[in-house]
Amino acid sequence: MDDWKPSPLIKPFGARKKRSWYLTWKYKLTNQRALRRFCQTGAVLFLLVTVIVNIKLILDTRRAISEAYEDPEPEQDYDEALGHLEPQQHRGTGPRRVLDVEVYSSRSKVYVAVDGTTVLEDEAREQGRGIHVIVLNQATGHVMAKRVFDTYSPHEDEAMVLFLNMVAPGRVLICTIKDEGSFHLKDTAKALLRSLGSQAGPTLGWRDTWAFVGRKGGPVLGEKHSKSPALSSWGDPVLLKTDVPLSSAEEAECHWADTELNRRRRRFCSKVEGYGSVCSCKDPTPIEFSPDPLPDNKVLDVPVAVIAANRPNYLYRMLRSLLSAQGVSPQMITVFIDGYYEEPMDVVALFGLRGIQHTPISIKNARVSQHYKASLTATFNLFPEAKFAVVLEEDLDIAVDFFSFLSQSIHLLEEDDSLYCISAWNDQGYEHTAEDPALLYRVETMPGLGWVLRKSLYKEELEPKWPTPEKLWDWDIWMRMPEQRRGRECIIPDVSRSYHFGIVGLNMNGYFHEAYFKKHKFNTVPGVQLRNVNSLKKDAYEVEIHRLLSEAEVLDHTKYPCEDSFVPDTEGHVYVAFIQMEKEDDFTTWTQLAKCLHIWDLDVRGNHKGLWRLFRKKNHFLVVGVPASPYSVKKPPSIIPIYLEPPPKEEGAPGAAEQT
Amino acid sequence: MSRISKNVILALFTLSSSAFLLFQLYYYKHYLSAKHGAGLSKSKGSRIGFDSIQWRAVKKFLMLTSSQNVPVFLIDPLILELINKNFEHVKNISYGSASKCKFFCVQRDFTTFALQYHLWKNEEGWFPVAENMGFQCLKTESKDPRLDGIDSLSGTEIPLHCVCKWATHAIHLVVLHGRSGNYLWHGRLRLKRHVDRKFVPFRKLQFGHYPGAFDRPELQQVIIDGLEVLIPKDPVHFLEEIPHSRFIECRYKEARAFFQQYLDDNTAEAMAFQKSAKELLQLAARTLNNLGVRFWLSSGTCLGWYRQCSIIPYSKDVDLGIFIQDYKYEIILAFQEAGLPLKHKFGKVEDSLELSFQGKDDVKLDIFFFYEETDYMWNGGTQAKTGKKFKYLFPKFTLCWTEFVDMKVRVPCETIEYIEANYGKSWKIPIKTWDWKNSPPNVQPNGIWPISEWDEVIQLY
Repeated sequence: MDDWKPSPLIKPFGARKKRSWYLTWKYKLTNQRALRRFCQTGAVLFLLVTVIVNIKLILDTRRAISEAYEDPEPEQDYDEALGHLEPQQHRGTGPRRVLDVEVYSSRSKVYVAVDGTTVLEDEAREQGRGIHVIVLNQATGHVMAKRVFDTYSPHEDEAMVLFLNMVAPGRVLICTIKDEGSFHLKDTAKALLRSLGSQAGPTLGWRDTWAFVGRKGGPVLGEKHSKSPALSSWGDPVLLKTDVPLSSAEEAECHWADTELNRRRRRFCSKVEGYGSVCSCKDPTPIEFSPDPLPDNKVLDVPVAVIAANRPNYLYRMLRSLLSAQGVSPQMITVFIDGYYEEPMDVVALFGLRGIQHTPISIKNARVSQHYKASLTATFNLFPEAKFAVVLEEDLDIAVDFFSFLSQSIHLLEEDDSLYCISAWNDQGYEHTAEDPALLYRVETMPGLGWVLRKSLYKEELEPKWPTPEKLWDWDIWMRMPEQRRGRECIIPDVSRSYHFGIVGLNMNGYFHEAYFKKHKFNTVPGVQLRNVNSLKKDAYEVEIHRLLSEAEVLDHTKYPCEDSFVPDTEGHVYVAFIQMEKEDDFTTWTQLAKCLHIWDLDVRGNHKGLWRLFRKKNHFLVVGVPASPYSVKKPPSIIPIYLEPPPKEEGAPGAAEQT
Repeated sequence: MSRISKNVILALFTLSSSAFLLFQLYYYKHYLSAKHGAGLSKSKGSRIGFDSIQWRAVKKFLMLTSSQNVPVFLIDPLILELINKNFEHVKNISYGSASKCKFFCVQRDFTTFALQYHLWKNEEGWFPVAENMGFQCLKTESKDPRLDGIDSLSGTEIPLHCVCKWATHAIHLVVLHGRSGNYLWHGRLRLKRHVDRKFVPFRKLQFGHYPGAFDRPELQQVIIDGLEVLIPKDPVHFLEEIPHSRFIECRYKEARAFFQQYLDDNTAEAMAFQKSAKELLQLAARTLNNLGVRFWLSSGTCLGWYRQCSIIPYSKDVDLGIFIQDYKYEIILAFQEAGLPLKHKFGKVEDSLELSFQGKDDVKLDIFFFYEETDYMWNGGTQAKTGKKFKYLFPKFTLCWTEFVDMKVRVPCETIEYIEANYGKSWKIPIKTWDWKNSPPNVQPNGIWPISEWDEVIQLY
């Protein structure tokens, strides 16, 4: 192309001059035949040049248009993007300013349709009982939140009140009952329904059906209700059809200052509901936290992988705490979402973080396991220089000194290859059994729930033999298996730096959470200086344990260990108890002891060579399994190890004994 | 009469066509301003001094990046070349002592900088600041190739290129992304449909015509024309890399389809072989890189990369290609020092050279030397028993970078032609029995070694 560059510049200029000569001389020289001939040939030549230049130009512009760094792929992308935008625009600015909404409530089925599109349909047996709530954007008609509150069961009405209060004024609320929704619907909730303008809400009775459409803080747009005629039967199915007038986009949005942060906030708040004050027009809660930087932060360059599923509210809470932790570097965080869920992605975008979606390839536990593998591989691909990765889950609160804790301890993982991981979680660290935020332990189990993984361990050992999708294994149970762990240990703090708040989960339910997670101790003190970190190395730790055991006071072994008085009412002492443990895998007595201490007893956690370390009444309390533990030598000969009988088998453990 | 009308018609034609030509000229100037950009800015920037547009644009850009704490470094080949020529001079300049604008005032359309993405803090906030300073910026993004190798992940797009225009000069910022194998990658600059194509003369960009891979450069701070800039510590090496930096991605999608059809071999032996082959390949790559010998994945290893993005578990060896002009006699010694004894040596430097080294766990490393003819390339084979020679023909090819088992390695850019020459059109179907003397479609008998030479050209250890 470059080689013909001068031609359009020079030739036309020359030609133009020729043309003016032609015009001036035309009349003077008409009779001179030769000159006329010359002029004619000149004109023809000129025309020819024009044609050539023309063709060149056409060819050139065409090539420029088709070639200029374009290929069909991005065009496609762009078309797709357009396709996505279309319905939104249609609803937002199109001529239709009214939505027709259909709401159905009955014993076995509920559905909600907006403009003919079903946005909720639930006719599954044995689930979805209670009040279904849908929030629509009043300007676009988009579904912003979808919840179900099983108000047949206790406390669910409180959650509903909490949720409804969070919804911004002006939004369109749709409620419908499936099966039963009144048994535990208490007065507060009923009062709230009344304040929304509902007639039937406050008087809802046993097995009534009910459908409601209204604007938060505004007029009711439709309501239908059918009383149940008898205790054993349900109200008749009701179908409510109503028109919802749309308001202008202006009205639906808050007038926040036009900053990058608020642009993110606006995008988020126009799409989803139920995140409380983050979307409040007056004084919204911040979405940028800028916590203090950590001096000498050793984990600034360590990537953080947040493993998430479709629990956007959890993810929101989790990311808030993570971004508030001292020493966090947001650009190192990646959120991996298991599935093509929009709302978690919205939450990620709200905080301006990197989010990656994962098409599900397997089922249940195997799916979680494949998601973990893909996430870990991706993390090390995205941060090829990283030697470690922090692995977090979406249902964790992160302690303010989480990164400070890791920064002080991560060198251990580099220097001591008898280590498997560093974890922020102490399985046995409950309110009544953990005390010292500066204290670290070595344990043979892998606690998970906020941990650091060494890249070499993952790349060289775990990744190549990670369980394949057809094996329905839990990744964490697999990681704890001796073939993988190979006798290596994890570093944990006495007081956990993460808090597991998830109640809903694959292996989780409310009861299980209450029993095993709720009372877990969680560090809230910033900048804790860890004590004697290097004593956690393999050999140094043995010296430390022997020192501890030598100074420990032996407890009165004639007392029943479950009794409160087993550990004296002192402070700051070190006590030791010896329990029976015939072999390395004999945990009969320990399990019983764990049960009566109300700590984790579903499997064995937190042991180091037959030794457990915890706190009782602010005293350090050591438990040694005799004779399996090498520390049995510290047992005075007179002491007979405690033996606790396992109870006769009657009922299984409540729920699956596993934390994910 | 007829003559007059002929004249009139001719005159009319000429008039209209000159009008047309004028219009075209205008249109042409407007539409393909790229072509004229150089000429125009030359007249404007003729004052060779610190008030040239280029220098001022670069100064503004550096002010912007340093105020935002974004460590960009200069990769502009034109300027690096100049700096390299005057390197001693540049190193001695201290701040403010520059007398004449020598580098940044040189006539050009772009100044190219690069940035490692992970050091780009506050990427979002950067653009508004740039616009406030008078830059007009264009950013292109694409999906992250580092996620392509993993099943079914899709995520936030990553920025690839930014072009920021200030007056008539444009700054091209190439965003480099670190990848496994300790190298930096940049993407191809693709414009979306709605982008103004004459925003800058895109075709004149030095980077972005295709994706590229570079060694992670060490940087140094220098003062050039009174401006503090970071440049690669070894500008010569960097400049040498540029023309050969083209990168091609493994075909992950096709590889997944392949595994759906033929299933991956997950047996312990297969995994053990892949592991030792990977280690052997890494060791070989390190050894050859230390010697500065160019090599590429050849034969089965190349097929494995192209077809399934992994090492073919039943291939039993690792195959590399080297141009005979890159042959160094130290190769054998270096491999021996790396713990890979020579297993056999066939042919000689002038003809059909082939080396074979014994790796750990019975994995063999084969190095084929390629000879170039006017219209094809070839490598030779020798049958030890009979002294027969074979010739394997390949269409001419050039070398590109790719990523394979966490390494940056070269492969023939024209991979499909290379593989089809070697394995035929049915290379997609895995075949476990392969006779190197008969199976390849590109094999030709090439006579026989004279018995007198056998001692030299057939060496078995």
